[in-house]
Amino acid sequence: MTLEDSSLQNQTSADDSSSPVSASPPPLPPLFSSSAATVVITMDSEDWESCSDNEVYLEDRNEDDDEEDCYSSGSVSSLQFRKDISKARWIDDLAMAEVVEKKGKMWVTMGIVRNGNTYCSIEETLFLVEIGALHVLDGNDIHLSLKELYEKLSDGKSGCDWELFEVYRHLKSLGYVVGRHGVPWSVKGQKIKSGTCSLESSQESNELLEPEQENKNSIMELFDNMQITEVAPAFHVYLPNSKFRKSSPGDPSFILCMSRGGPPSRVEIEAVERKHGAIPLKFCHVENGRVSFFSFAKVELPVLP
Amino acid sequence: MKARWKGKASEAKASADPMSKIVSQLQSSLIDTGTCGLLSSCSVLIEVDDELADLLNRACFGRPRITAQKDKQWFQLDMEETFYLCFSLKCLKVIGEDVSTKSNEELWEYFKSKKPVFPISYKAYSHLRHKNWVVRLGLQYGVDFVAYHHHPALVHSKYAVLALPEGDNDLNGRLRVWSDVHCTVRLCGSVAKTLLIVIVNSNGLGSNSPSCLEHYTVEERTITRWNPEQSREDQRGLQNQTKEGII
Repeated sequence: MTLEDSSLQNQTSADDSSSPVSASPPPLPPLFSSSAATVVITMDSEDWESCSDNEVYLEDRNEDDDEEDCYSSGSVSSLQFRKDISKARWIDDLAMAEVVEKKGKMWVTMGIVRNGNTYCSIEETLFLVEIGALHVLDGNDIHLSLKELYEKLSDGKSGCDWELFEVYRHLKSLGYVVGRHGVPWSVKGQKIKSGTCSLESSQESNELLEPEQENKNSIMELFDNMQITEVAPAFHVYLPNSKFRKSSPGDPSFILCMSRGGPPSRVEIEAVERKHGAIPLKFCHVENGRVSFFSFAKVELPVLP
Repeated sequence: MKARWKGKASEAKASADPMSKIVSQLQSSLIDTGTCGLLSSCSVLIEVDDELADLLNRACFGRPRITAQKDKQWFQLDMEETFYLCFSLKCLKVIGEDVSTKSNEELWEYFKSKKPVFPISYKAYSHLRHKNWVVRLGLQYGVDFVAYHHHPALVHSKYAVLALPEGDNDLNGRLRVWSDVHCTVRLCGSVAKTLLIVIVNSNGLGSNSPSCLEHYTVEERTITRWNPEQSREDQRGLQNQTKEGII
């Protein structure tokens, strides 16, 4: 709660002084300081295959350094200036935004296509608004502020929540292509259903939707139930790939599951595995803005001579 | 992640001298000599000649005790090692405090009383030993066991092993909270081991007798951290991560 509150506070004050169109967008933490299209990551180019003993240790140290960076960089970097700003209209019934004006390349990997129209989920909308690449209007053509969009995230109707959004933002800011589990990128000749968001189009997606709504009923209950693990597939993640096409996305690199309350049990892991066949799973843990990914891969140690 | 052999000759040395052969030599030698162990709290002490001492060392059972005694050597076995030699390999007898030989059932009860999680940890230990992995206690790495491809003198241990019972009666208590997962994976990474969890399902059979053990089922999983910063453009990197448990 405190995290959300403070973010809301920050954004409110920032929004008062500058609209997202302005050249000085609100200051943001370093993670999303660059857009998905322009992000440059300094990477260790060491070949994992040819690691000698020393390098194994070296890698670990690199990992440490990475984490140190995340911890210690208190400096707030600013966003690049954007002159291409797309426009979308928020549709409450869908809990999604319909894109009315597309600018930039991000639409190749963002938004779902239904009947020729592109719709943005709340996490996509927020991600783009945060980096200043999207201008969102409501039904009466009135500009929706970041604050109002954060409120839409927290009202639980969008099938997303703050933790899921953080995961989404983390992967997106590194250039991964991320889609919601159970929501096809494009469906030919099918209109988007109204009522709730398009997550309705798949039964499985309710796994993502329902717990949120329940939790919203009582915040206190949410905290009481913190120890109860909930494991649900949340996102389909594709590696950064310039050839990605919504019309033929192929199998994701992995399905990302959110495991709340605690690590997933074997039974929970197996239940998700059984449903998704050969696609690898990763499990994600978010705490106070820290996003971590683990795989719990089934193995069979060989019988040695 | 391949086996990390210590020096170039080690791999050849290991393949010339497979662990299965060393262990079966140890087994027949223990039977031939009619070796008896002395139960002392959570350990079992055995007195052996030079040949057996060599085999115990090479098979990685027990720790040698340095004593002034010249002709014979003393070894100290832990509970899992003892039970493996007594129950699985049937090559060791253990004498209790009343100077009578303990049956496998009596030993089982005794070890359970000393270590409630013994049925689970023993199943994990014997499961890996049966596959000819060398298994040693892993306390110094904060886990139950470490598993080696061969003798620790030749190769670094590949896996840090936690033996976890399936279901709610988790006596081990590990990895129940995210902080412990982070902690364990991080520690294993810093000593270049992969965290292996051996999940033991007693299939509702309880642990009244060691004969239950053969009906216990075992599942192996590795837990690894995936670093999105390092895996962006490397297709193989991602696949390696998911296949990491496979050699």
